Parts: sequence; structure tokens; C-alpha cells
Amino acid sequence: MKGTHIGDLEELVLLSVGSLYREAYAVNIMKVIKENSRRSPDVTSVHSVLRRLEKKGLVNSEMGGSSAERGGRRKRLFTLTTAGRAVLDDINATRTALYSKLPKLTMQGISI
Amino acid sequence: MNQQPPKWANRFLEWFCNPELLEEIQGDLYEIFDEKLRTGPSWKARWTYIFLVVRSFRYSVIARKRNRKPLFIMTGKNFKIAFRILWKDKFNTVLNILGLSIGIASFFLMGNYVLKELSYDHFHTRKDKIYRVWLKEVYNEDKVFFNSVTPPRFERLLEEHFSEFDEVIQVNRNSYLVGEADERYNESVYIISPEFFDVFDFKILSGDPKNPLPDRNSITISSSYAIKYFGEDNPLGRLIEVQMGEEIREFKVSSVMADPPENSSISFDLAISNENNNVIFSQGAMEAWFSVSSETYVLVGDNSSIATVESGIQDVVMGYLEGRVERGQYNIGFQPLTDIHLNPGIPLGFAPVGNPDYVYILGFICVLIIAVACINYTTLAVGRSLKRYKEIGIRKIMGAHQRSLISQYLTESIAVTFLALIVGVILAVVLLPYFNQLTGANVTLAFSPTQVLMAFILMGVMGIAAGFYPAVILSGQKVTSILQGGSGRSGKNNFRRGMVVFQFLITVFLVSSTLIVKKQLNYMQSLDLGFDHNAVISVPLYPPPEARSLTDFVEGTMEKGQILKERLTQYPDIESIGMGSHVFGTPGWGNISYTDDNGAYWSYNILFVDPYYFETFGIEMTEGVAFDPESGLDKRQSIIINESAARYIGYDIAIGESLPGYNPGEHAIIGVAKDFNFESLHSEIRPLVISQSLGNIYSMVADHDYGDSPSPKLVFRYTGNQLSSIKDILDREWAAAYPGEELNFEFVEENMNFQYESEVRLNKLVTVAGILSMIIACLGLIGLAVLVTNSRTKEIGIRKIVGASVSSIFGMLVNSFAIQLVIGAIISIPFTYWLMNNWLENFAYQVNIGPVVFIVSCLISVAVALLVITFHTLRAARNNPVDALRIDG
Repeated sequence: MKGTHIGDLEELVLLSVGSLYREAYAVNIMKVIKENSRRSPDVTSVHSVLRRLEKKGLVNSEMGGSSAERGGRRKRLFTLTTAGRAVLDDINATRTALYSKLPKLTMQGISI
Repeated sequence: MNQQPPKWANRFLEWFCNPELLEEIQGDLYEIFDEKLRTGPSWKARWTYIFLVVRSFRYSVIARKRNRKPLFIMTGKNFKIAFRILWKDKFNTVLNILGLSIGIASFFLMGNYVLKELSYDHFHTRKDKIYRVWLKEVYNEDKVFFNSVTPPRFERLLEEHFSEFDEVIQVNRNSYLVGEADERYNESVYIISPEFFDVFDFKILSGDPKNPLPDRNSITISSSYAIKYFGEDNPLGRLIEVQMGEEIREFKVSSVMADPPENSSISFDLAISNENNNVIFSQGAMEAWFSVSSETYVLVGDNSSIATVESGIQDVVMGYLEGRVERGQYNIGFQPLTDIHLNPGIPLGFAPVGNPDYVYILGFICVLIIAVACINYTTLAVGRSLKRYKEIGIRKIMGAHQRSLISQYLTESIAVTFLALIVGVILAVVLLPYFNQLTGANVTLAFSPTQVLMAFILMGVMGIAAGFYPAVILSGQKVTSILQGGSGRSGKNNFRRGMVVFQFLITVFLVSSTLIVKKQLNYMQSLDLGFDHNAVISVPLYPPPEARSLTDFVEGTMEKGQILKERLTQYPDIESIGMGSHVFGTPGWGNISYTDDNGAYWSYNILFVDPYYFETFGIEMTEGVAFDPESGLDKRQSIIINESAARYIGYDIAIGESLPGYNPGEHAIIGVAKDFNFESLHSEIRPLVISQSLGNIYSMVADHDYGDSPSPKLVFRYTGNQLSSIKDILDREWAAAYPGEELNFEFVEENMNFQYESEVRLNKLVTVAGILSMIIACLGLIGLAVLVTNSRTKEIGIRKIVGASVSSIFGMLVNSFAIQLVIGAIISIPFTYWLMNNWLENFAYQVNIGPVVFIVSCLISVAVALLVITFHTLRAARNNPVDALRIDG
């Protein structure tokens, strides 16, 4: 994996940003991660992960609309960049490739 | 119920959070808070909010983007521009570098001297655990004996009673004749405990490093003495003859040690084991409590403290001395090893003690010179800001932040200091020999990693200190005011004026201090000391080998000295040959004390002479008569006292009476000598008793103490003018009278001057510092003069056209500096007066400072400064106004 290496939580956040499409801001991302994994990061860690990802050029951001429960404050909405997408694809490919090489022996008992 | 997050948490968040991030973060936190409010109790929501605010308190949230660039970013670009600007204004740059490098060079030289004085005895690895023992006997206010030299029995006493000590070391020294029969030197031999080298870090070069002094017949010598005695041969196992009393003993060289470092209080070249003590001391002296002879050092164990020893030591002492002294009269104390060199509060042991005042004064002067140099840079840079307004304006319009401008200007000042550092170090290396010669201080420049690091830290500090104010001032200008051509420089000018005043204050202070120190030294030299030491030569005589008691030692030596005296009388250039136990210029004349039958305590200095001593030194009598050489009675019984002694005794001394005492012995006062300063002028004249023999006085003396060896010296006046011929005469006659012994002779005047060595050295250093700071200050003034006249070129031109004369314009320009110089000079007066008065208190005989010193130093400083700026201002004043007005800008 050339260039960008990202950590566990970073990967989760990046995936969430991709999957939330146009609705990806910190609180939402946190909720998605809570629902889909066993991790429950608090919002401040999500903030700092997002800042990190932006610095690495894996996500873009812009200020979006506001809502009443935010006291009229705008959200920062994140979108996946091409580089971010490539990293996710890369991770996925690596995983799949390695996974497929697991010896069949361990799969015994499970019928394919 | 409170539906809002806690206010203070919000305020905190708003305070620390980067404004660019605030909206989203605060929004997210509000959203979560809202949700918690809906799903749970409000306190839980508030706590969550607080928790999240605190969690947000991290660098990435605090840091402003603009801030990401550090203030002191020294990019290559900055340096490139800095060097271009420095190159463009060469005159200014040279002035700056010169000033700073002089400051740095003197800082290096003087700083190293100060460091050396402060580093005494710090090279021992266990320096914090080593103490020197002192003994203080306090019987009443007048009767105090305080000594760093202790009874020999202390070594065993401390070893036996205190497990806190890992080692107790005895250090003693004696003068012996060392060497073969035909070539003997009078050497100081140290007698030390064999464990000495386990405690102190003196390097053993050859021989067994674990046990350099294996037995009582071993001797350790320094490497320079190995060369002195054995040349290039291997000294190990060689024999050295030492005359101890009547016996000549042979010691085998068991080890060679490196010469003790210059900054070591304990310093010796020959050392034998104190297992020889039974030969050196009588049994009585070994057991004595009230007779001191050796230094004692202790090494405190790792887990023990000296405090427990100090609290227990009285009990131990009383266990031995119950009935002889009262509790609290016989005190034993401990002085840290590293305290010895600079603590004059505790009496001298074997090592000379430095004067901490002088060390601190020098350190202070170092800082002053550096300050003067830095101020120079600051004033010049602020002055130059006039020239650079446009540059700043353009930079700001192009979008430069104040921070980047500051960093640019600091780069400039650090670049200048860097160049100055290089020049300064070169200067220091070149000037080192002159500095050492001038001051007599043996300073070496060791470029150790720490020193190099310190130099760079100094450079950084100086660069920032000197450049910070101009950087802030320059970069803080408002673009609009610059481009409008307004200056708003009144505040700056005040600052600059203040700096010039301060600089001059320091310069005048140093100049007038120099003058005051000089005045005091001259005063001391011109004082009538009560004797005439001009061209008097003193030759220490050797005691007869069979001398055992002090009487033998003094009277026997004088008797033996007669041979040399007889031989010398034949030379017409040699006059007034006398002998005496002490000679002027050596401190520590003998002291005797006793208690009389009324319980009163008396203490006098004592001098043993032959009848001709008075004539040699031209000592006058105020009452009675001097010793009659023909009178046998005088030789046995007569004594002479000085005026101070007569006053001390109190009643009108009648000729023929004796000193007050319970057992006055067979003596009678035959005369009173006019007071003469037998000690240095740091102290008043003490009562002195002069006698030809010991017996008449010593019958009643309870205590005596000799700082200087009472071994008699032959003194005579040399009226010839060939130094080499007196040396020839002495060599020839000495060899006949004392075959095989080493001849030493000294000019009394030299020794007298030696007493004021540290004052003379101080004077030289202050003079150098004064001149240097004057040079630096003048460099600054030249620069300022150039700047001010340049910035007023047009004004001068217009004035001239309107009809101003050259002299009035010159006056106007000089005026702008003169006031500051005068103010600086005036402020320095009370400051100097106070400081120098403190210094003068070191002397019993003080010169009156008087106003002349200040007038002279102010005049000198102001005159030199004006002279320096005159050249340039005159040129500006005489310029053709047409040229001035043509300048565009």
C-alpha cells in the first residue's frame, strides 16, 4: 500500500463518510459507527479523525445547512475524495485477496 | 429546568477553540446535548457537554492555522534577505559586528576567569560529600581561636566516633630540604593519609592507582616534579632524599600523579604517607587538643548527613575535655569542600582563598559589557528604522504579517550576532595571552562541548535581546501612516534616548570605578608605612640541622646567619645588614597571647630581630632607645613595643617596666617604636612586641601562632644598580656559607606589592572593561550620529539656505546627543559612589572618593563621545545645501 496508511478508526470514519453521502458530518458519522460496529467513539475523536483525514486529502469538506437543535450553527459536511475512495478500494482488495488465501482446512464444516 | 449547556463550558470552548473550527464543533456538541436532553435527565446532558468540551481541548482544536508557522522560522529566504540588507548597509553592519564581537570577546575572557574561580574543587566526583573540618575555640569575645588547621588527633577521633564518615583524611605539610647533598631544594612536602587518593580525584599516571602510597617509605610525586628530579627517566622505584630533622631519609617513588589542576585548593607536588607522623610529631603533639597543625577532611557516607555529626560532636568532645573546657567552648565544624575557595569567612587552611566580591564584580562587569553591546545594536537598529519605513510599508501591503516581519528582523539580528560570535571568538583567542599577562589570571580557553553550546545560547539570547525591540517597533508600524509619510516616532526616540543614557551610565560608571580603584592603590602606595622598604632584599636563612625547639630555630638560625652577614659586609653596595623573624610584605606574623593574673586576656604580634633590623628598615623610636648591638643585657632582656601596643596596654608605659602578666619573666621595655604597617593596609596596625630573644617573653606565653614561618631572614639594603651583580654576590657568598642549600632571595617591595595583587588585578580588569565599554559606546554613537544627520539632511539644507551658520548647525546636531550623555553621566554618580564605598570598606585606610573623580570621568567620557561624533556632524553641517536638497526622498 503506497503512500497513505490509515488506522482502524480512520478507516471506519472514512467508510462512514462514503456511505453517508451528503449527510456526512461528525454526529451522524459517530452514530453510523455506533450502529455498525462495536466501537463507540465520542464526537471529539471523530472530529480529530476527520481533521486528520482532510489533511491527508482523503476527504473534502464544506459548511452545510443548519438546524434548530444546533442553535442555528452550520454543520461541516464531508465528502470522499478520489484518493479516499482509492484507499478504501485498496484496503478492501487487500483484505479480500488475503482472505481468499486462508487455507480451506479452516473452512471445513462450513459447506460452500 | 435549564435547557442550555453550561455557560462557562461554552465560554471556555469559545476561548480556546480555533475560530475556524468553532461553529461546527459547537454545533455538533449542541446537537448531542439536545439529544441527551430528550432521552435522559438534564444533568447527564450537561455533564456530557462538559466532558466533550474538555475532550475537545486538544492541540488540533486550539492551534490557529496562521499559528502553525512557528514565529522563528529561519528559512533560507530570511537569511538571504538578511545578508543582503547587511551587505547593503556595510557601515552599520561593521559597527554592529565590531561592537558585539568586542563584547563577546571580553565576555569570553572574563567569563572564563569567573568560571575558573567558581569551579574550584568541583572536579572531585564526590565533592558534595567532602568537608573540611574547622576548629573554633570561643572563651570570650576577645579570645576566639578559629582555625581550618586542626589538631592531628582529629583524624582518629572522627574515625572512631562517627560511622557517618566513610573516610577521614589528614592533610599536613612541612618544608623539607629535598634532594642529593649537592643539589637540595627547600620543598613543601605533603603528609597525607594513604586513603587520600580514594577520596579526592587526583589522577595517578603510573604506579598502583589503588594504593599509590603503600607504606611509610613511599612518596608520590607530580609529573612536573618527576621531570624536575629525574628528567626523562622512569621515576618509579627511584629514591628521593628528604632531610627530616637531623636524619636524612630515603623515600621510594611509588607513584606519579598528574599535576593537580589549577582550580584545586589542595595542591602539592610531593606527598608521603602520614604513617610517618610519629617521626614528624612528638607524642604530645599527636595527642594535643589545643595545638593545630594539619587539615582534616571527611567523606560523608552516601546515606548519612553531616547534620547528625554536627549535633553529636559536642558530646564526643566533652567526653574527652570535661573539666578543661565548658560546653560550647570547643567547637568542631565542617565546611563543604567546594566552599573553601571563595569563602573568606572561614580562616585559611593551606590553600589561598579568593575574594568572592571580585569574582562577582567581574561577572557583573561581563554582563554590563554585553549589555552595552546589545544596547548598541538596539539603538542602531531602531535608528535605522527611519530608513526602512518604505520597505516595511511595501511588505505589509504585499500581505506580510507582523509575525513574519519580526521573524525577518530577528533573523537579521541573529545573523549579525553569529558573525560577531565568530569575530569575537577569534579576538578572544588572539587576545588571550595579553589578557593573561595583563591580569595575571591564568585563564585557558577550552572549547568543550558545553562551552560551545553556551556560546551558541549566548548568541541566540544576544540576537533576540538586541533585535527584539527594533523588530517589534519596525513591524508594528501602521501601513497607512508609513505611506502617508508620517512618522509617529516620538515614542521610539524616547526609547532610543533612554538607551543612550543607560549606555553612558554604564560607561561612566566603569571609568570612574577605574579611577577610584587607581586612587586607592596610589594612596596606599604613597602612605607613610612607618618604614622604608626601598631596595631592601630579604634572604631566608636555613636553620641548623640540630634545631629542635622554637628557640633553637630562631636564635640558632640567626647565629648561623652571622657567617653570611660577615661575608656580605665587605661589599660597599650592601648596607645595613640585619636579621628578623618576619619581613614586611608577608602576612601572618607571629602572634602570642596569654591571660594575666587579673584574668585579662592579652594578644600581641611578635617579631624577633637582631639589633640592626631597625636600621635596615629605618624604623624610628618615639620613646626610649633602640637595641644597642653592644649590650648583652639588651640581647637577653630588653623588648621594644610599638605605639599601638603602648595604647593597647593602656597605662603610661614607663621605660623599664614589663608587659602586664602573671609571670612576666625577665624582661623590660626599653623603648616605644613609631607605628609602622607591618601588615597590609587592609587592616589596622596591631600591637607588636619586638625582642631579640624568645626566653624573656615565652615564659608567660600561653598560645602562639605563626602564619608565616618565623625562620629568620637576612635583610639588607642594596645601593648598587646592577641586579645581576647582586645575584652574583649572593650566589658566591651563599655557596660559601650554606654549601649545598638552595638560595632564595626576594625584593621586599615586590612582596609588598603582592599583598595588593588582587586589587591591582581588579584595577586592570576594570580599566580594560571601561575602555572596552567606551569603545563600544562610541561605536554606537558614530552609528547614531550618521543616522541622525542622514535623516536630517534636508532640514540642514533648508536651515543653511535660510542662513544658519555651520557652527549653529553643528551645535544643534551635537545638542541632540549631549543632553543624553550628560544625563547618563550624572545618574551614574550616586550609583558608583555607593558601590565603590562598599568596596573601600575592605581597607582600613581608605582614600576619600571626592568629586574630582566624577568630574574627570564625566569629562573624559563626554569628551571622547563628542569627539567621535564631531567628525561626522561637522561634515553634515558643512555640506553644500544644494546637494542636500537634491536628494530625492
